Amino acid sequence: MAVMQRESSAGYITRAPRSSGLADVLEILLDRGLVLDAYVRVSLVGIELLTVDLRVVVASVDTYLRFAEAVNRLDLRAVDDSRSVPELFEKGTEDAAESKTKGAVEGGMDAIKEKVGLGGRGRGRGDDDEK
Amino acid sequence: MSRLYLYGVTRGLRVPPRLEREGVSLIARGGAAAVVSELGDGPVEATRRNLLAHADVVETLHEEALVLPARFGTVLESRSAVEELLALPEIAELLERHAGSSELTLKGTYDEAVLGELAAGLGPLRDAYRRAPGLDTGVALGEAVLEELAERRAADTARVLDALAPLVLDVRASEPSGQLDAFRLALLVARSGVEAASAALDALASELSPPLRFELVGPLPPYSFADLAVPAVA
Repeated sequence: MAVMQRESSAGYITRAPRSSGLADVLEILLDRGLVLDAYVRVSLVGIELLTVDLRVVVASVDTYLRFAEAVNRLDLRAVDDSRSVPELFEKGTEDAAESKTKGAVEGGMDAIKEKVGLGGRGRGRGDDDEK
Repeated sequence: MSRLYLYGVTRGLRVPPRLEREGVSLIARGGAAAVVSELGDGPVEATRRNLLAHADVVETLHEEALVLPARFGTVLESRSAVEELLALPEIAELLERHAGSSELTLKGTYDEAVLGELAAGLGPLRDAYRRAPGLDTGVALGEAVLEELAERRAADTARVLDALAPLVLDVRASEPSGQLDAFRLALLVARSGVEAASAALDALASELSPPLRFELVGPLPPYSFADLAVPAVA
C-alpha cells in the first residue's frame, strides 16, 4: 500500500479541506489571527509552553549524531542490495516508518499533545485555583 | 456582565444550527459581525478541546463567507466592547481586503531517504564514521549532512515559491518545526484561485517527489493574514 502511494505522484500530496487534529491546529492557527490590544484580555493557561516547544528545532550535537546514524543506516541498507527487489521494497518501507530519526522528529509533537491534555484536566487546573 | 469569547469577525453570515446549539452567536453592528460565545469566569485553557472548538467554528463559518479569525484565547469584557471593536475602521478595512480570499497552508517534508542523496558527496566523512562511529566522526558527518539539507531546503522552497507566485495574493513562511521539514507556507489565494494553486502543486509534486512530500490544507480562514494589531483606542 505504502509502496503504491510512493509510485504515484499524487500520493505525495495529501489534501485536507480543514485543519484536523491537534497537530494541524497548533501549526496552522496557534499564534495567528487578529490581535486586539485595547479591548481584550487574552487569558490563557498553557499557551506559552506550547509555543516554546513548537519552535525547538535547534541543531545540537545530539542532532548531528542522529543524522550521522541515519545516513550510516541508509548506507548499510544500500550495501545489502543483493536481496530481491520486492523484499527490499518492503524492508525499506518498514525501516523508514519506524526509523529512529523519524521517531525523534515526531516525538516533539507527542510531548505537546500530552501537555495540552494536562493543561486541561490535570496540573493546569491546580494552578488556576490558587488565584 | 458576561464575558465573551471572540472567534472572529465576519459579515453577511448566519450561524448554522449546529453551532448555534453549541452556544455560538453573532453580535452585529454596521456591516460587521462578531462571532462569539458567552464565557464563565476564569482563564481560557489551552486544551485540545478548546483549540479544536475554535478551529471548528471559524473554519465552518468560513465555508460560507469570510471570517477574520481572532487569535485563540481572545476574550472581550462585555457586549459594548464587542460593538466598539466592530466600529473600528481597521476591521472594516480588513474585511474589505480579504472578502473573497482564503488561506491554504502548505507543508513540505522530506522522506528520510533524502539523507542518502544529501550524503552522496560526503564519501570520506561517511567512511570515517562507519569505521569509527563516535562523537568526532558523528558530529562531522551530521554537521555536513545538515548543511546539505539546509541548501536543499532553500532551493526547493525557492522553486515552490516561484511556481506559486503568479497564483497567490500573498505568502507567509514560518520556520519549519521538524528536522526533516522543508517549509511551512501560508498562501493567501482568491477563493476562485484555489483550484489553480492546487493544480500547480500536482506539477510541483511530480517534479520534486520523492523525496519531498506535500501537505495542503484549506481553503481556511486567513489565519496568517489577519494579523493587523488593532490599536488601543481606550
